[in-house]
Amino acid sequence: MEKQLVPIVTVPEVATVVDIREEIADVRTFYFTFDRPEIERAFRIRSGQFIMCTVFGAGEFAVSLPFSPENDRKHISVRKVGKVTAALHELQPGDKIGIRGPFGNGFPFEEIKGKNVIYVAGGIGLIPLRSSIVHVLQHRPDFGRMILVYGARSSRDLMYKDSIREWQATRDFETYFTIDRPEPGWNGQVGFVNQLVAGLNLPAENTVAFVCGPPVMFNAVIKELKLKGIKEQDIYSTLERHMKCGIGKCQHCAIGRTLVCVDGPVYTYRQIKTLGEQI
Amino acid sequence: MYWLPRDQVRLLVNRLAESYAVYGPRRDEVSGEVVFDRLEYLERLDLQAAIPYNPPKHALLPQYEEILKYLYQKQSRKVTIEKISKVEPKALVGLRACDLNGILCLDRFFLGQEFVDEVYLEHRQKLFIISNTCVRPFPQCFCVCTDSGPAAGEGFDLDLTLAGQGYLVQVGSMKGQKLVEELGLREAGPEAQNLREKIVAESVSSFDNFALENKAWISRATNRLTTGFIKPEVWEYIGNQCFECGACSFVCPTCSCFNVEDVNRVDGPTDRVRTWDSCSFEGYTKMAGDHNPRKPVEDRRNKRFFCKLSYSQSKKYLRPGCVGCGRCARVCPGDIGLPNVVTYIRREITGE
Repeated sequence: MEKQLVPIVTVPEVATVVDIREEIADVRTFYFTFDRPEIERAFRIRSGQFIMCTVFGAGEFAVSLPFSPENDRKHISVRKVGKVTAALHELQPGDKIGIRGPFGNGFPFEEIKGKNVIYVAGGIGLIPLRSSIVHVLQHRPDFGRMILVYGARSSRDLMYKDSIREWQATRDFETYFTIDRPEPGWNGQVGFVNQLVAGLNLPAENTVAFVCGPPVMFNAVIKELKLKGIKEQDIYSTLERHMKCGIGKCQHCAIGRTLVCVDGPVYTYRQIKTLGEQI
Repeated sequence: MYWLPRDQVRLLVNRLAESYAVYGPRRDEVSGEVVFDRLEYLERLDLQAAIPYNPPKHALLPQYEEILKYLYQKQSRKVTIEKISKVEPKALVGLRACDLNGILCLDRFFLGQEFVDEVYLEHRQKLFIISNTCVRPFPQCFCVCTDSGPAAGEGFDLDLTLAGQGYLVQVGSMKGQKLVEELGLREAGPEAQNLREKIVAESVSSFDNFALENKAWISRATNRLTTGFIKPEVWEYIGNQCFECGACSFVCPTCSCFNVEDVNRVDGPTDRVRTWDSCSFEGYTKMAGDHNPRKPVEDRRNKRFFCKLSYSQSKKYLRPGCVGCGRCARVCPGDIGLPNVVTYIRREITGE
């Protein structure tokens, strides 16, 4: 086996943007490969980790990783929302970016083998969950029921439409989709994600849930999952914070006694409740 | 223990200056304040001066520091990234025990957690530290309440204690031993240890008479901050007093939050710089897209005191995050330096 690469801590590794895909309004996916072959070969991640991405001349931002740790093209999906992400959106295939990381704890994988896995995502909250979804699918026999509940404002706001089509056609993967308001030609559900969750027959025993989305959606979904009997320590989410270093030193991402970059970004709901701060 | 006559301090400093940039307390001619800074004129070192206005942390964590330089040529798509290493060896002379403990906190935070901070490490490895016992406290001090003074216990290369016409010199490292031998200092004799202990004990007992501005009920405040049993009204009051100026962070020996920015230079390359930051600023936690999880000022203020005194943070520093120097109280325009905050917490407990 290839030696595990230690995280790139201080000096970014140069990577080339090889492909760019429009996902939804203002969100693009950037596929990249490292320029140094030894880094390209050795770069390994866990689902749920993040990297610090440098847009040369603009700055650096923290971004979650949507690709599987195994056999998946390296990419990030980024919404144009500030100065640096806007500069990223200016890039063309062939342009360079810098990468530090991967950082953070990541979602559990070995620990949840044999369990039912529920994914609940809202909007671009699907981005960090995609890595775990693909990884679990790659090891499908090791897991119990596998369920995805995904909602967005409209059908135009659903991320990863190619992956979704693939997942809908995958056996033993129960997928449910909802949009906020009715649209011509839409065959899925209409309403908020939490309403869709409420109406589903979900397992509670031997089950873990991964939830990611805007805070309002998050809280409403947690409520429904708890009503279904899923325990707080079995509900996982990944948090976002303003980050500058990624290695637990600048302290911008402190929540309560934890730092999201080293103690997170993945937390159980039980942990989130004890942080003593807004998420 | 060794003996350094007062008039030989110059020799010690001159010897250090051969290999290090010498930092120490000196009186600023314009403001009259004692500052801890680089000594361009070695003779201006003043070991008897009052506790300096600023801690020595800028020697390890400069207020503005270039950590990387890169050049991206957009046409040819060629990138060169260079780690900047401008760190010069520094000798910090005459550090008060509180400030030395501050450096030890920074060491444990930057070098002892999940990741080693390479930038800090380089500064730290090139440091020579000479501490100086406070034979008498200053009005703003409360180091005896935070177990960080008035004398240094560890972390120095050499440690000085004024005793009459000279200094008792303790050696704390091989580097220190070497310097003592090069200077040919004589042994201070069998009674030196007892003498130093007596001087320190006298200093501790004089806190009631001289350290008039602050008293801090640290351990109970730590308990309350850790368990979260402080009423929201207390934080609201403290929040309302806060000017959000960040001065407390900047003069704190253990505050080390930094920002990172890429600064484009007119001649082409970009510098990645670290600059001091403060959790009291509204933009500290603000994310792109305008979501700010810590909007109200009291929400940001209690985080600072959580950082200074909570048990979970103390585990990172292996001691409380406050070293009792009293500088925050001195600079705060809203009168919410740490001792006052502890007082408000105490009043809540005792119902005074």
